[in-house]
Amino acid sequence: MDRQLTFEIFRYNPERKGETPHMQQYTLEEKPNMTLFIALNRLREEQDPSLVFDFCCRAGICGACAMVINGRPNLACQTKTKDLPDKITLHPLPTFKLIGDLSVDTGVWFREMYTRTESWIHTSKTFDPTKEEERMDNSVAEDIYELERCIECGCCVAACGTARLRSDFLGAAGLNRVARFVVDPRDERTDREYYEVIGNDEGIFGCMGLLACEDVCPKNLPLQNQLGFLRRKMGITALKDLFKKK
Amino acid sequence: MMKTYTSSVPGVSRLDAGLDWLQMLTGASLILFMWCHMMLVSSVVISPNLMNAIAHFFEATFMAQVGGPLIFLTFLVHFALAARKIPFRVEGQSTIWQHAKMMKHRDTWLWVVQAVTAMIILILGSIHMWTVLNDLPITAAKSAARMQHFWWFLFYMVLLPCVELHVSVGFYRIGVKWGFVKADQRKGFKRFESTLFTIFMVIGIITLIRFLMFG
Repeated sequence: MDRQLTFEIFRYNPERKGETPHMQQYTLEEKPNMTLFIALNRLREEQDPSLVFDFCCRAGICGACAMVINGRPNLACQTKTKDLPDKITLHPLPTFKLIGDLSVDTGVWFREMYTRTESWIHTSKTFDPTKEEERMDNSVAEDIYELERCIECGCCVAACGTARLRSDFLGAAGLNRVARFVVDPRDERTDREYYEVIGNDEGIFGCMGLLACEDVCPKNLPLQNQLGFLRRKMGITALKDLFKKK
Repeated sequence: MMKTYTSSVPGVSRLDAGLDWLQMLTGASLILFMWCHMMLVSSVVISPNLMNAIAHFFEATFMAQVGGPLIFLTFLVHFALAARKIPFRVEGQSTIWQHAKMMKHRDTWLWVVQAVTAMIILILGSIHMWTVLNDLPITAAKSAARMQHFWWFLFYMVLLPCVELHVSVGFYRIGVKWGFVKADQRKGFKRFESTLFTIFMVIGIITLIRFLMFG
């Protein structure tokens, strides 16, 4: 027998004057293989066209449908209703700017993060389009790709206690981004240069090790290991610097 | 909000790294100390004479007279360093409280436990150290006399679980935060940490009971 699902959905449109944030209830009959993405679309099509939420790829690639599902940030398109209880509570991701209802602006945050981390290959070599590409060891390429898989959904940032307490914290997504360049042999930045970017409380030393990022990441990125790696690397860089100084 | 412009360019500082190192090292030292402390105190369960002998050794070598205040200092420094991360304003406290309630995530709750026990340990731990260090030498009889006093017994019944919780969560946190424990070892390490907590709690309670029955 199909279950009757109850949705408690956060509603608020900051653009509309006089509106206050509130929870709204909807009910929907569960169907086989139903994901939250399907459920939300049905709610919007059949019950409430004013419901605001984001989606794009419906395959866990674009990261647009991230939201807080029964308290945990996750992707709506990858969450099956059969794994959830009868009552499903949905909130927008905290930390990010609210656009309306379940939709937040992660773009501005990630753009800022990319600027701060200087998220590009720093090299002194001039690019020659006629030349064959430089070869890279397959294992190195795989290591880079492993960290490059981030879809920028913002779940790790929304789940992060530090990011909730201080808005200037880079978050696991930002630190993972830096780790990706540390692994990349084409990037000529030294440890000291990376230290300038993340060797502070807005960066790696702000991380309190709550590891919610690791536990909620929908792409299962190795965030715990990367954060530990960066903390040790940056900690040792600072120590080396201390002893080098005359 | 994050700054979108550069109003000034601060020089690279080693301060945050240094403070983080110190927070970890003072924490690790205090964990080691607490384990040794438990061994000293619980030796009374085997024999009060053994506890007296160990205590005497620490005094004869001046480790209690010098080491005691040093531990007190480490304790205060560790608090000051870790307090950098604890929200002291109601605004921050309610944010992290709501966050923990929303997430229902064990490690996030454990952090709240760490912060709350830190405050209790700061006060009760200071009182304990002040009392003990002002009344050297440490002997099983004196400790037992204190424990047989109702309010002191209550005092230690609060302090003991707080310390054991703080120590075991802190031990776990250092491991995962600094990457000594990798993701695939985390579950096992967590179990190890819970076992450690249970063992120390049991030893602690047995010791308290032994002191109650002393003399």
